[in-house]
Amino acid sequence: MQLTFINGSPRGEKGNTAKLMDNFVKGFLETPGNKCAVEYIVKHRKNPSVLKEIFYGSENVIIGFPLYADAMPGSVKEFLDAIIPAPAGAKIPSLGFMSQCGFPETGHLRYVERYLEKFTKRLGADYLGSIMKGGGEGLHMQPKFLVEKFFNGLHFLGKKFGETGKLDRDDLDRFARPEHLTPEQINGIIPFINKALWDEWMKENGALEKSFDRPYKK
Amino acid sequence: MKILILNGNPDAGDRVLEGYMAALKERLDESGHQTDLVSLREKKIRPCTGCFGCWIKTPGTCIIPDDAIGIAGKYISSDMVILASPMVNGYFSSMLKNAIDRNIPVMHPHLEEVDGEVHHLKRYDSYPDIGILLKPEQSTDEEDIEIAKDLFRRMSINMRTNLRFIEFTDRPAAEVADAVDIH
Repeated sequence: MQLTFINGSPRGEKGNTAKLMDNFVKGFLETPGNKCAVEYIVKHRKNPSVLKEIFYGSENVIIGFPLYADAMPGSVKEFLDAIIPAPAGAKIPSLGFMSQCGFPETGHLRYVERYLEKFTKRLGADYLGSIMKGGGEGLHMQPKFLVEKFFNGLHFLGKKFGETGKLDRDDLDRFARPEHLTPEQINGIIPFINKALWDEWMKENGALEKSFDRPYKK
Repeated sequence: MKILILNGNPDAGDRVLEGYMAALKERLDESGHQTDLVSLREKKIRPCTGCFGCWIKTPGTCIIPDDAIGIAGKYISSDMVILASPMVNGYFSSMLKNAIDRNIPVMHPHLEEVDGEVHHLKRYDSYPDIGILLKPEQSTDEEDIEIAKDLFRRMSINMRTNLRFIEFTDRPAAEVADAVDIH
């Protein structure tokens, strides 16, 4: 089976989406004969026609991206708008998506998921499904067992996709957990993320004292 | 009210939509508002690179030096912002989405609980109300409208603002302008 993974992270190879993608692709390639090409939207931005050609030369495509302002990043929207409508006579690949957000709960991603399914219909492609997952930011500071569970889940999804050519809805739902958080979980996790992630990053950059600056208001 | 209209129409040849925007601004001004109509087509706005510079290096300021900084400044100084765009495959134009992505310096990276969900903290005390103005495309159906409305409602929650209306250009500009005061 052939797959093209189109990574739409504005951070390209250094982004969190790439880490998710790597684990998925590793699982996918465990089935003998499977082939996967990886492309980055950020590298093709000046000339999207090359990536469009790659898209229409693929059997299966998964487009991955981080959630920006509750939807796809503007640069990913540029690419989506570039591939539709399909060129006359083109064979349309089966299409799926992978998206992650920094918010710890996956529920944030369900709205763009509906959009992506409708987009696929609009294009006239078979919809493979969407791998959605919250908690994609700050993987470096999350407990090791959680990160392993996260990556193992992607490896499993990739492996099964490599074997069956399908993303199973129950598998996707299981991987997506937690869909929502309890008030106790929210109260526990927020101070941790604010301190251990954001304040630490600001400190490293000597910016913690300026954390609450309001430079745009005149 | 100080009203900012961000015109995300990428097609200069769409004179009908451009005329609609001009008529909307004129009517709002006549009603006593100070309206700033900004055509994003004439601005240089690069996509957000996700560098987090605006959150962890120069808090509140984007480190990419282009027109997006001035637009975010206008945004935060307005009472109301109308995000206007033709629907392109069921959503904003990429031009408008790029401008919105570059607006995150107005939020704080810290998280807090909002109605049982995790969202970003406000950097400023208040944010402009948002109105959405869309030109439907030929293929727009009820499902597209529902999906788009949900995406804009969610965006407004995350931007910690009040979504006042979602209107479509099949309603005359004067009516939409008059409705701004009612909504």
